[in-house]
Amino acid sequence: MMRGRTFGSKLAGGFALTALLTLLMGIASVLALTIVVGGKNDVIDEASDGLVTAERLNTTIESRIGNYRAYLLNGKQEYLDLTNADRARFLDEVSELRAKLSSPVELAMLTTVAQTEAEHAALLAPVLERRKTVTDLRSISQLNTADVTPARQALQNAITALTARMRSDVSIAARHSSRQANAAVVIVIVLGVLSIASAVLIAVRLNRGLRRQVGTAVGHIQSSSAQLEAAAAQQVSGGRDQASAMSEITTTISELLISSRQIADSAQRVSLIAEETSEAALTGDATIDRTRQSITAIRTQVDQIVAHMLALGEKSQQIGGVVDLVSELAEQTNILAINATIEASGAGEWGRRFAVVAEEIRKLADRTAGSAKEIRTLIDDVRSAVNITVMATETGAKSVDAGSRQFDDATSSFRKIAELVATTNDATREIELSTKQQSTAVEQVNVAATDTTRVTRETEASATQTKQTAAHLASLSNDLLELVGTGRR
Amino acid sequence: MSGAGLSDSGAVADRIAELRDDFDRSFAQPARRHDVEHAELLAIGAGGRPYAMRLTQTAGLFPDRPVTALPGPLSALLGVAGFSGSIVPVYDLAALLGHAVADRPRWLVLAAGSPPLALAFHELHGHVQVPADSIISEGFGARDSLRGMVPLPGGTRPIVDVAAARAAVHQLTGHSHPDEEQSR
Repeated sequence: MMRGRTFGSKLAGGFALTALLTLLMGIASVLALTIVVGGKNDVIDEASDGLVTAERLNTTIESRIGNYRAYLLNGKQEYLDLTNADRARFLDEVSELRAKLSSPVELAMLTTVAQTEAEHAALLAPVLERRKTVTDLRSISQLNTADVTPARQALQNAITALTARMRSDVSIAARHSSRQANAAVVIVIVLGVLSIASAVLIAVRLNRGLRRQVGTAVGHIQSSSAQLEAAAAQQVSGGRDQASAMSEITTTISELLISSRQIADSAQRVSLIAEETSEAALTGDATIDRTRQSITAIRTQVDQIVAHMLALGEKSQQIGGVVDLVSELAEQTNILAINATIEASGAGEWGRRFAVVAEEIRKLADRTAGSAKEIRTLIDDVRSAVNITVMATETGAKSVDAGSRQFDDATSSFRKIAELVATTNDATREIELSTKQQSTAVEQVNVAATDTTRVTRETEASATQTKQTAAHLASLSNDLLELVGTGRR
Repeated sequence: MSGAGLSDSGAVADRIAELRDDFDRSFAQPARRHDVEHAELLAIGAGGRPYAMRLTQTAGLFPDRPVTALPGPLSALLGVAGFSGSIVPVYDLAALLGHAVADRPRWLVLAAGSPPLALAFHELHGHVQVPADSIISEGFGARDSLRGMVPLPGGTRPIVDVAAARAAVHQLTGHSHPDEEQSR
C-alpha cells in the first residue's frame, strides 16, 4: 500500500494517521466527558433542584402547619397571613417543581401531593374561619380539627413519598452516570491503547521503510558515484586527448587556411586561363567554318574525279573494241599468210618466193597480234586501274562524307566544349568566390577551435572536480548509511 | 607484265626500229630452201593437248567455218562444211586421237589429197618453221595417227600425220582400201 510513495508522504501519512487517531481519541474523550458531565449534571440538578424543592415543599408545609397551628393557638392575624403566604409559596413551589420534573411517576406523585394539599387546604379553611370567631382559648377545642389531621398526614405522607421517590431516582441517576463515566473511561483507555499501538506500528514501519529505501538509495548513490567517478576519470583523460587533438586540429586548420588561399589563387589563374580558352574557342569556330568549306570543295573535286575516271574507263573500253578489231585483222592476215604458204609450197620456185613474202606477212601479222594482245593487256590494266581508282575514289568520297559527318560531330563537340568552357569560367569564378568565403570560414573555425581548446581544458578541470565530488559523495553516502543504521559492515 | 615492251615509250621506239630492221632485212636475205632444210609446221591444240602438223600435208586453214551436223553413229564426225564449192566431211582431231572433249573445235584444216577431208581442232598456236633435222622421226603403230616429235618453244610436241589420220578415218567409216580410193 505504501509502496511507490515518497518517504515524505509516508511520513506525513503516518503522522496524519497518528494525529487522526489522537483526534478521534480526543473527540471520544470529550464526548464521553460531555456525556458523563451531562449525566452528573442531571443527577446534580435533580438532586439540587428537584430534591431541594421537594424538601422545601416539606419545609413549607411544615412552616404552614406551624403557622396555622400558631394562629389556631393565639388567633393572631399575623400567623394567618403567614400560613396563607406559606400556602401560596407552596403552590408556587409545586408549580416550580412540576416544571422541573420529567418522570411521569414523579409528576403523578406531585399531582397527588397537590391534590392532597388542596384537600387539606379545603378542610383547613373552615377551621381557620371558625377560629376567627373564637376568642377564648378554651373554646379552641370547639374547633373541629379531626378531619384536618388525616388530610395533613396524607399530605405529609405524599410529600415524603415524593421525596423518597425523588431521592431514589437521584441515586439511580447517580449510578447510571457512574456507569457512563466508567464506560467512557474504558473507551478512552482503549482508544489511547489503539493510538499508541498504531503510532508504534507506524513508527516501526516507517523506520523499516526508511532503512530499506535509504539503504537502496544509498546503494544506488554509491554505484552511481563510482560510475560518475569512473566517467569523470575517463572524461579527464578524454579531455586531455581532446585538448591535444584540438591543438592538432588548430594546426591543421592553419594549414587548411594556407591551402585554401592557394586554392583561391589557383582558381583565379584558372579563371584567366578559362577566359583565354574561351577566346581560343571563338577563333577555332572561324577555323572550323573554313575547314568545312575546304571539305565541301574536296567533295566536289572527288565527284569530278569519279566522273573523269568513268569517262576514262569508257574510252578504254572503246580502245579495247578497236584493239579487238586489230586482233581480228591480224588473225585473218595470219590465216591468209598460212594459206598462202600452203598454196606456195606446191607452186615451184615462184611459189617459194611468194612463200617468203607470205612468211613476212605472217610474221607481221603475228607481231600485230602480239602488240594487240599487249595493248589489250594494257587496256585491261588501265580499266582495272580505273575501276580501282573509281572504287578508291568512291571510298574516298564516302570517307569524305563520313569525315564531314565526323567533322560536324567534332564541330558540335567543339561548340559544346566552348559552352562548357564558358560554364567552366563561371564555375571557376564561383569556386574563387567560394574559396574566399571558405578562407573566411576557416579563419572563423580556427578561432572557434581555439575557443574549443580552452573550453576543453576547462572541461578537464571540471571533470577533475567532478571526480573529487563523486568520491566525496561516496563517503557521504557511507555516512548516511551509518546514520540510518544500515551501514555496510 | 607482258606489256612491258609497250609500257615504256622508249622501249616501243626501240621495238619499232627493230621491226623496221627485220622488215628491211627480209628483202636483203637470200631465198631459203623450204622443202629441204626446213619444215613448215602448224602448232595446234586439240582436246587441250599440244600437237604439230606439217603444213605440206594440208591444203588450207579456216577459222569459224559453219559445220552442218550429220546424223550418224560416228562421234568423231562433226558434220560437213562447204569449201570452194565442194562438200567436205569434218572430223574431230581430238576424237580421232582418242581424247574427245565436249568443246566445239574452232579451227578447220583441209587435208591434202583426196577425197577431201577436214580435220577440226580447238586452238591454233601459230605457224613455225623448224630445221628438218630437229624433227625426231620414229615409227608408231600402224593404227596411230602420230608420226614423230618436234621440239618447239613451250615443249616438245607430237606431230600429227594427216595421212595416218585419213587412214584412221577410213578405218572408222569401214573403207578397207584407202589406197585405192586415193589412187582414184
